[in-house]
Amino acid sequence: MPLRLVPRNLLKHPLRSLLTLLSLAVALFLLCLLRSLVVALDAGVRGAKSDRVIVQSAVSLFVFLPESYQEKIRQVEGVAEVMGWTWFGGYYQEPANFFAQFATDSELLFSMYPEIQIIKGDARDFLADRRACIIGDQLASAYDFDIGQSIPLIGGLFPRVDGGVWDFQVAAIYRSNSSNVDRKSLFFHYDYLQQSREEGGVEGPPGIGVFVVKVKEGEDPLAVMGRIDALFENGPQRVQSCSEAVFQAQFVSMVGNIPLFVGSLGGGVFLAILLAVVNTMLMSAREQVRDIGIMKALGFTNAAAFWVILLQGLLLALAGGGLGILGAHAVSEPMAQALGAYFPGFAVSRETTVVGLVISLAIGVLAASVPAWRLSRLSTVQTMRMEA
Amino acid sequence: MTERIIALSSVTKIYTRGGESLVVLDHLDLEVARGGFCALMGPSGSGKSTLLNLIGGLDHADQGQVEVAGTNIEALDGSALAAWRAETVGFVFQGFNLIPVLTARENIELPLLLAPLSRKQRRKHVDDALELVGLADRADHRPSQLSGGQEQRAAIARAIVTDPKLILADEPTGDLDRESADQILDLLARLNSELGKTVLIVTHDSLAAERARRVVHLDKGRLVDRSEAALAPGGGN
Repeated sequence: MPLRLVPRNLLKHPLRSLLTLLSLAVALFLLCLLRSLVVALDAGVRGAKSDRVIVQSAVSLFVFLPESYQEKIRQVEGVAEVMGWTWFGGYYQEPANFFAQFATDSELLFSMYPEIQIIKGDARDFLADRRACIIGDQLASAYDFDIGQSIPLIGGLFPRVDGGVWDFQVAAIYRSNSSNVDRKSLFFHYDYLQQSREEGGVEGPPGIGVFVVKVKEGEDPLAVMGRIDALFENGPQRVQSCSEAVFQAQFVSMVGNIPLFVGSLGGGVFLAILLAVVNTMLMSAREQVRDIGIMKALGFTNAAAFWVILLQGLLLALAGGGLGILGAHAVSEPMAQALGAYFPGFAVSRETTVVGLVISLAIGVLAASVPAWRLSRLSTVQTMRMEA
Repeated sequence: MTERIIALSSVTKIYTRGGESLVVLDHLDLEVARGGFCALMGPSGSGKSTLLNLIGGLDHADQGQVEVAGTNIEALDGSALAAWRAETVGFVFQGFNLIPVLTARENIELPLLLAPLSRKQRRKHVDDALELVGLADRADHRPSQLSGGQEQRAAIARAIVTDPKLILADEPTGDLDRESADQILDLLARLNSELGKTVLIVTHDSLAAERARRVVHLDKGRLVDRSEAALAPGGGN
């Protein structure tokens, strides 16, 4: 097969090929980024531990629970441990510098979340200092934070009455080996928050955001959840327990049905670009009718004619798609930095790259196979008589 | 007895257009001797090109038998016919029919891609063909950079590069000025006389037909004039 015909015919109309290639590149760029967003959202759900249960207010996630619930939950049959977990909602210097901060029962944090690994500093320093915090390695590199450094935060949910800032000392830097714990978060002592509230220097809702419950080994988490919910059936505030995976998933659903939205968007982009490439390939094939006739007259088979056209579609689609995928990889890190607080773990993964390449390949095959098949089926005499 | 390279027996070709049947070739018999130089003449629509296409295995007859170089080509399927064409026939067309995105060298090399030859061997064959048609200095030019005569010489080089037994030329001088046409006819005559190729040309050009050693006239799908010495080498073959 005269393979050199494949690139030569694409370069015969460079502007047309370039525009088609660029449209493919933009489409695959968007598809890869959209898929990466969904994967990032889903990562927390997939990384969730099955022996951890989240207890939140039955009214809303934004309604805090009484502190007294912690001890009551601890007494429930099947509960191994329970810790508080409160969203702080502050920001560093300006609102754009937003990342997650949580007030927790620090002495329980590492046993409840063994996936949190201290990679710099010492967990004991964290536990010893009321104002200490630990931060994720990605947060440290994003803002150039280091051990011993002070991080002043403006309290979003818990502003200081005097308008001042919260001051946290970095005691350690952690890395998580699971996607359910964001590496751009800050954890500090709930006691610090509580004491500040009691001293009256801080505004904000009383209580604890949610409780994280560790279920005893061998216990059925569903049964434990049922007991906890039943315990507070008559108030003072009803609770709703769910698995960690369901808890993570509800953040995804808060934004809407993202997978469906992205799937529809991706499907639309796929169809639009497919039609554009089909159009290009039809035009290209029409121009090559006589060339194909010549090839057949010289002794090339219908299959060779088919492949000459099909490979053009494949080359165009893979070049355009590849460019788009490369572009998505190029912006992956900056986007992860920018979106890290909302889409922790955002990255254009190898799987997304493969999906992108498969989509490119599918576009190439679908767009080129029809004109290739039609052209290859024409008789040699017909093709020689047809004007391009 | 002179060996036949083309033997058509009661060949009929019918085209159907808009529900109407048009008999293009009507029980035609034709024999051409190996090494002959034969011109097919006739008015437009007489069936010349159709006949050439049948002989070259580009089309199938509706009735009759087409035997070329000892093969009944009507019995061959698509792939076998393509392989047979590649090995047996060299085509030269009126519109030159070079592939525009390839250079003259690459166009000439095209049929060699079907043969089990190394790149070096292919290059040698192409160089020989270019030399033969006097186009060595234009080898790396694209068709758009060649004159009509040069394009047709490149097309002839492509037709002979595989060393086929038979060269079929459909109006090879139709798009050329007189001088270029004469050069092409000289070249075809040389291929016939020096290399022993059988040449069959379809032409309207009486000057072109004069170069042939045998002229066959077609009208309404039938032979109307045929040399009595059709099979005699050096005579009316």
